[in-house]
Formats: sequence, structure tokens, C-alpha cells
Amino acid sequence: MSVTATVADDGKQITIHISGQFNFSVYKEFREAYQRSAQPAYTAYVIDMAGVDYMDSSALGMLLLLRERAGGERSEVVITNCNPEIRKIFKISNFDRLFKID
Amino acid sequence: MEPLRFLIVDDERTNLLVLRAYLEQGGHQVFQADNGANAVAAFELERPDVVLMDVMMPVMDGYDATRRIKTLAGNHFVPVVFLTALTDEASLARCIEAGGDDFLTKPYSRVILQSKIAALLRMRELYRVREQQRDAIQFHHQRLLQEQALAERIFSKVVHRGCLDSANIRYLISPAALFNGDLLLAARRPSGGLLVMLGDFTGHGLPAAIAALPAAEIFYEMSAKGYSISEIVGEINQKLKELLPAELFLAACLMELDVSGASLAVWNGGIPDVLIRAAHGKELRRLPSRHLPLGVANNAGLDRRAELVHLDTGDRIYVYTDGLTEAVNAAGEMFGEERLSRSLAENADDPFALLCSTLERFRDFTGQRDDITLLELTSVAGGQNAVTDTSPFIVAPHPPAHWRVTLKLKADVLQQVNPLPPVLQLVTELQALHEHRERIYIIVAEMFSNALEHGLLQLDSALKDLPQGFAEYYERRERALAMLAEGWIEIELAHEPRPGGGRLTIQVRDSGPGYAVSESAGFTANKNASGRGLALLRSLCKTVVVHPPGNHMEVVYEWP
Repeated sequence: MSVTATVADDGKQITIHISGQFNFSVYKEFREAYQRSAQPAYTAYVIDMAGVDYMDSSALGMLLLLRERAGGERSEVVITNCNPEIRKIFKISNFDRLFKID
Repeated sequence: MEPLRFLIVDDERTNLLVLRAYLEQGGHQVFQADNGANAVAAFELERPDVVLMDVMMPVMDGYDATRRIKTLAGNHFVPVVFLTALTDEASLARCIEAGGDDFLTKPYSRVILQSKIAALLRMRELYRVREQQRDAIQFHHQRLLQEQALAERIFSKVVHRGCLDSANIRYLISPAALFNGDLLLAARRPSGGLLVMLGDFTGHGLPAAIAALPAAEIFYEMSAKGYSISEIVGEINQKLKELLPAELFLAACLMELDVSGASLAVWNGGIPDVLIRAAHGKELRRLPSRHLPLGVANNAGLDRRAELVHLDTGDRIYVYTDGLTEAVNAAGEMFGEERLSRSLAENADDPFALLCSTLERFRDFTGQRDDITLLELTSVAGGQNAVTDTSPFIVAPHPPAHWRVTLKLKADVLQQVNPLPPVLQLVTELQALHEHRERIYIIVAEMFSNALEHGLLQLDSALKDLPQGFAEYYERRERALAMLAEGWIEIELAHEPRPGGGRLTIQVRDSGPGYAVSESAGFTANKNASGRGLALLRSLCKTVVVHPPGNHMEVVYEWP
């Protein structure tokens, strides 16, 4: 599985781990990872990019979709373990204004 | 079992008689042949549904006949059942190898023969269904290709009506599929300048193309009317934010080369660094992306101001989409920024051609993963008159005249309307100052936003320097503006002639208590905006005065 999700004990924070190529091919899996919960939405989202070796613009789009679901302007979405190339992509698109990039 | 056409092949007459009797009893039609050659001829003539084939026959044996018959049948499935007296495994396996679908050893059981035929007919049905589906798919696929080709023609008309063929523009457009997800537009300004937009949609194909249409329309219309890059950015952003779902957006870079060729205005939201190469390639200046791509944030949360850089004649500006640096060769390596910089740093007569051929050699015909677009814009001495057409749009400033306009905006108007576009429109139309529009926009926008954000709303711009502070800042701005009950901002523009041109005096007053303005801290001390604030105003204006207690600013802009 390229996308796995773990929920914290308090049920409030969800961490989504992605590995391999973060592009349109994982669209469905990615959406399902955070939509699976029937309970009220999570308050905190963490995207773990440790296993990602390639990311394209459709991945940025998927992150925007998640951010919208997480509450848009009021959301708290953290993206961790980015390698230098991925960090660069976030910098060029200035997505560090929309997400917390660790 | 439905009535079928059988071809029975055996060199023994009695066998044929027995088979014929049995099959005709079942209501089927029977053709016969007594050797392999006759069997092939009969097959070609009668095109039966099933073939029952003996093995050992003179002239041509069953194996050979079956091979030929299967070839004749082509894509149609015609079951061939071998009826053989041979019982050794090797011979039986050979039946299947020759193309037979099954075998039955003599003396054979009628019941088993019937069952085998039934099974083979089921398989034939499967083949038939598959063929139908394949034909349907092919038909629809052809239709789709035709529709796409037509759509592409309409798309081209809308998107490619600009002036990419100008003498000082070179470009490389290499889409990964029929519809290009990259957008490259160029338009001539009424003032004689040149406006270029490079865009990169998330994904490619039809959705990207559809979104490109309104973006291109807005770009061309507003360019022709003399709107500034900032205003065009605002309109396109708003349109795309409305139209596109959350996961689609447009990384874009807009640039304007002014008519003298000495100055370039750039707005880069999500595109790789714009590169400026000095004449001999030794120096490469970079203009990185400073803004969010278009279609992501509301206009309130998007900084639309352009950066201005000075150019020398012969400077070449390069802008490209990430498809270029991410292009791979057969080994999976990426072309990368290093190779790009190195190529441009060469002291070549034609750096563009060199870069293109370097890229081509690197890729060596490896398939493209993403659309590749590259543009080179050269700063030409003496303006953009390199184009021979005498555009009806080129308008010289009106003779400098005396006029004064005062606009007083109270809290209720400030909450609903952004006064900058009408103010700009007024200034440029009254005096036809089209080529100064970008600069005047920057000046008025700077003065107005300070009067509003620091004078009236009392916001602290230091927040904009923090990583996520940008969004937070604009959110506070929105809230504070919504709660603004009283206060006003007054914008006054006065114009008068001076020797050789004109002088525009811009004053902005606000009803706030005034704020301390220092050179270093400045208002809008946002590092991201590369020297905004007082320093920027001083660089663009002849004089800048802040009247105490700090809620009244007066600048003088002289032209040409």
C-alpha cells in the first residue's frame, strides 16, 4: 500500500504516510485515507512524506483537497519528513503559506 | 443446441456416413471432405461453424489441414475437434499443437462428442462477445479522437492569437499529449511594451485545456486595454478560484517588458526561477516564485504586486515550466537546474538554440512525462519596434495637462470595493500614461494598503514575515475590515506639465492616528516582497514625504 493512515489514541489527529510516487495514481487511496472516518472530522492532520521519492503538481492538488476538507483557512495540516527536492517544490509553489512544512 | 454447420473430414466413407447420420438427426447441416486438401477447400467455400477432423489422410493430413483452416478462420473462432484412432500421448498432444481445440479417440462416444461440442460453442460465444466489445471500443475511441481534434482547433484559436512570433521571442513548446497543460501567451501592449504569460496547470489534457480558455481570454482582453500585470493576475486568480475544483490550479508567471526594453516587471506564482542572462552569460540573475499559484487563494489572500528589475540591451530572460528540468533520459536521470544553468552560462551566440540542442541530446528521444515549455525574451534597444505591424493600439501619452482628482472613501465603501482599479483606470485614461501603469499601480497600491492596514485597521505587518503568518495576516485583515465602523481614506491625484513631460502628485490621507515610519523598519517590512515600503517608493518616485503625525503621505512621480 502506498498510502497508510494511523489515528492517534484520542481520535483527533490522523497521520497519513505516503510512500513511492506521490502523483495521480494514489488519488483514490489518498482520499480514502482521510475520508474513512465516519466520526466528526479530525482536528489535526499530519502528512508523513518519509517514503516519497517523487511528487508532482497533482500531489499538490490532492493536498489542497485535504486542506479544504480539514477546514481550509482554519485547518491545521502539517507535512513532515520532506526530502530536499520535495521541500523545493513546496518552496516554489509557496505552499508553506498554506501548510506547516517540517 | 442450435442448428449448426459442420464440416466432417475423414478418408473412410463409413465414418463419414455414420457421422453425417448422427449430426443430421440432431438437425444440423453437414459438409464433408475425404482428405486435408479437400477439407481446406470446403472450409473456404462453406465457412462451417465446427470442424470434425481425422488425422491420418492421404494428400494432406489432419494436422496440416487444421493449421491452414485456423489461418483462414482468422479472428473468428471455429472449433476443430480431432477424431483419431491414435491413442499415444504424443500424437494427441500434436493435435492441440496443430491448432486443434480438442480431440476424441475412436471409437468415440456420441454423448462425449456432443458435450465437447457444447463446451466449444460456449467458448465461441465468449469470443464473439469480446469481438463486439472491441469493435465498440474502437468506434468510440475514433469518435473521441475526432472530437478532441476539433476541440483542439477551437482551443488553438483562442489561445494562440497572440504575438509569440515577435522578433525578440523564441520558444519551445513540447506537450506530453494532444492538449497541452502548459500555457504560453504573449501580447503587445498599447504602449508598445510586451506582455508574456507562462502557465502550468496541475495535470494536463482536457481539464487543463478547458481552464486555459477563460485565463487566455482575460489575459488578451486586459493586455489590450492596458491593465497592469497585477490587475490581470487578480482577474485570472478570481476566475480560476471560481471555476476550478480545489485540486486544480495554475502556476503562472507574468512578465512585462516595457517599451524601452530597460525594465521588466515580473509576477511569479509557482513557476521555477525566472533567469536573466547578461549579454555574455557570465551573470545569471534569478527571480524566484514569491506567490501562490493562481486559483488557490482568494484575491484577499494573494499578493498581486509585481517586482521590477532593470535590464540592459541584449539581456535575455528565460522562463520555463518544471517539465524542462524534470525531463528524463533513458537512465531515469533528470535534466536538472545545474545543466540548465551551465548551458546558459556558456558564451554562445545563440544560447537558446544551445539549450534546446543540449536538452534534446540529453533526452535522446526518451518519452516525455510532462509538458515542456521554454521561452526566451530578449531586451531590444529602442523599444519593441522589432515587429513590423503598425498596431492600432499604440497610444502615445496625451499632451501633459492640468487636472486634479480627489476620492474620499469612508468605511462602508472601503469594506466593499477595492478602489485601485478605477483609480488606475482614471489616471491612465486621463493622461494616457499606459506605459507607466505598472509603476503607478505599485505606488498607489503601496500607499493605499498602508493607509488602510496600518492607519485604519492598525495591523502589524511583522506577521507577514513568519512562515504561516501570511495567511494569518490576511485573515486578520479581512476580519478587521469587516468590523470597521468608521474612518476614511482620501486619495488625491494631481497632474501638471513640466519641461519634457508631466508630474503626477499622489497624496493619501487616512483618518487614523498616524504611525511612526522609519527607514529600516518601514511599513510592510515584509522581506518576501524584496524591499517594499518606503525604500520601494523612493526608488520609483521623485520625492516621498510623510507628513506628521504619519497619516498623510505625499509622493511625486515624474514622466517620462
